[in-house]
Amino acid sequence: MLVTMSGVRLSYGRWPALDKIDMEIRQGEFLVISGASGAGKTTLLRLIWMGDRPDSGFVEVSGFRSDRIRNREFPQLRRKIGIVFQDFRLLHTRTVFDNVALPLQVTGTGNRIVQKRVISLLARMGLSHRRNAFPHELSGGEQQRVAIARAMVAHPVILLADEPTGNLDPEVSREVVDLLLEINRGGTTVVMATHDPRQVPAGKGRFLFLDRGVLRGADRWTELDPDS
Amino acid sequence: MDRTGSGFMSLVRSAVKEISLNLHSRPGARLITLLMVALAFIVFNTFLIISWNLQGIVDKEEDLVGMEVFLQRDISQAEGRTIGDNISSMQGVKSVYFVSSQEAEALFRAELPGRTDLLDVMGNDFRLPASLQITFETEAMSQGRISELSRQIEAVAGVEDAVYGEDYLPGLLKTVTTIRRLVVLLGIVLVSSISLVVFYTVRLSVVRRSLTVDIMRTVGAPWWFIRIPFVVEGLFMGVTGSAGGLVLVAILSKVLSSAVAQRFMPLSWMTLVILLCAVTGTVGALAGSYEKER
Repeated sequence: MLVTMSGVRLSYGRWPALDKIDMEIRQGEFLVISGASGAGKTTLLRLIWMGDRPDSGFVEVSGFRSDRIRNREFPQLRRKIGIVFQDFRLLHTRTVFDNVALPLQVTGTGNRIVQKRVISLLARMGLSHRRNAFPHELSGGEQQRVAIARAMVAHPVILLADEPTGNLDPEVSREVVDLLLEINRGGTTVVMATHDPRQVPAGKGRFLFLDRGVLRGADRWTELDPDS
Repeated sequence: MDRTGSGFMSLVRSAVKEISLNLHSRPGARLITLLMVALAFIVFNTFLIISWNLQGIVDKEEDLVGMEVFLQRDISQAEGRTIGDNISSMQGVKSVYFVSSQEAEALFRAELPGRTDLLDVMGNDFRLPASLQITFETEAMSQGRISELSRQIEAVAGVEDAVYGEDYLPGLLKTVTTIRRLVVLLGIVLVSSISLVVFYTVRLSVVRRSLTVDIMRTVGAPWWFIRIPFVVEGLFMGVTGSAGGLVLVAILSKVLSSAVAQRFMPLSWMTLVILLCAVTGTVGALAGSYEKER
């Protein structure tokens, strides 16, 4: 299993943000976590990249366990994870190229490899002509594609997308979901949190539903029909 | 991560690039931070100059504290100098100056020209006694220590009498001690306040760029890679801000020098001021980046 969560509980103050979470994510799957705003989707993703650690239970990601991980191991874990946010989180003082190159530069990858990988990925994302642009010069869809390129450039084993279409219009949202599906077909595990699971066609992934911090469903591993 | 030497060099190059990008971003916000630091240091530097000048006045007052030791009339110059040498080896004695009988008379005539008739009345055989003028080390500047030294000196063979300002000395020493304590107390309060101002100003400027720290974390940057640009920024703002404050106060001091006689603070104090600000700026930046990195 790529990700295992066992008996996970996490509270912010008095209220549990997540409770009794037991779940597994297999290598290569496309998992859609849906739920209303405040249901705990973002918190669940934060637990996977260990931006937070559970109050009880544990999360294990690619061999790193939340209750055993050392501080110096966080960067190693995060290099295996790509993260895409609803608000893109691009660095506005850097060009598209520099934003995408960042995960490689912080790991000491040689300049030639950085050039090669970033240029190839920008071409794949249809952003070659925008490589010297700054984020504020891009449309929302383009910014999200840059964010996805940044998340993918270091060849992560898992891509976490937190409401990646939240700030986009329906047509661009479809393009972004298609891009995530294409990335998944390439072998990368994708976990997408969304308030609207209908964005992902039925049969294209596994669907989980979060309700006020608890995974709902008679059988948590049953695929839910997003139209139900 | 590429663990080869070239991989490490690429990482260092990227870190240097980060530092450069960081220092060039948000010039307006950085200017405001620098002005805040400089303003805080103008207040602090002014205090330091006042303290430095006050210290000079206090030192001068202390230099006036001394003892006059009158020697017996039958003591020769050589014996007088030997007694002086013995006294100068006593703990707490800073200097001993031998005043011969002839020198004492010359001094009397020079300092009290209107009263030379007193010497004439005493007759030709009269000689003022030879004496020793003694000054004390700072640590011996207490009423108790000086009276103890006075007793010790009076017990030395050949000494007639030891005189010091018993009436004014306690008051003078108390005033000097009080001034020194007040300056130190105010200094501690100001150093603490200034350190906090610099710490929080720099920390705030780092926290303002929390997005950069967040992104660096999520892409797996090592902790030092995330922090080093902020540390350099804190150091830069601390040194530039305090140096700016020093320059402004130096200009002010120069302008006012014709109206108010004063000395600018010594180089060692200036170095300490810049060092203090560099340390607090760096710690503030570290705290800011650590706060966002958790």
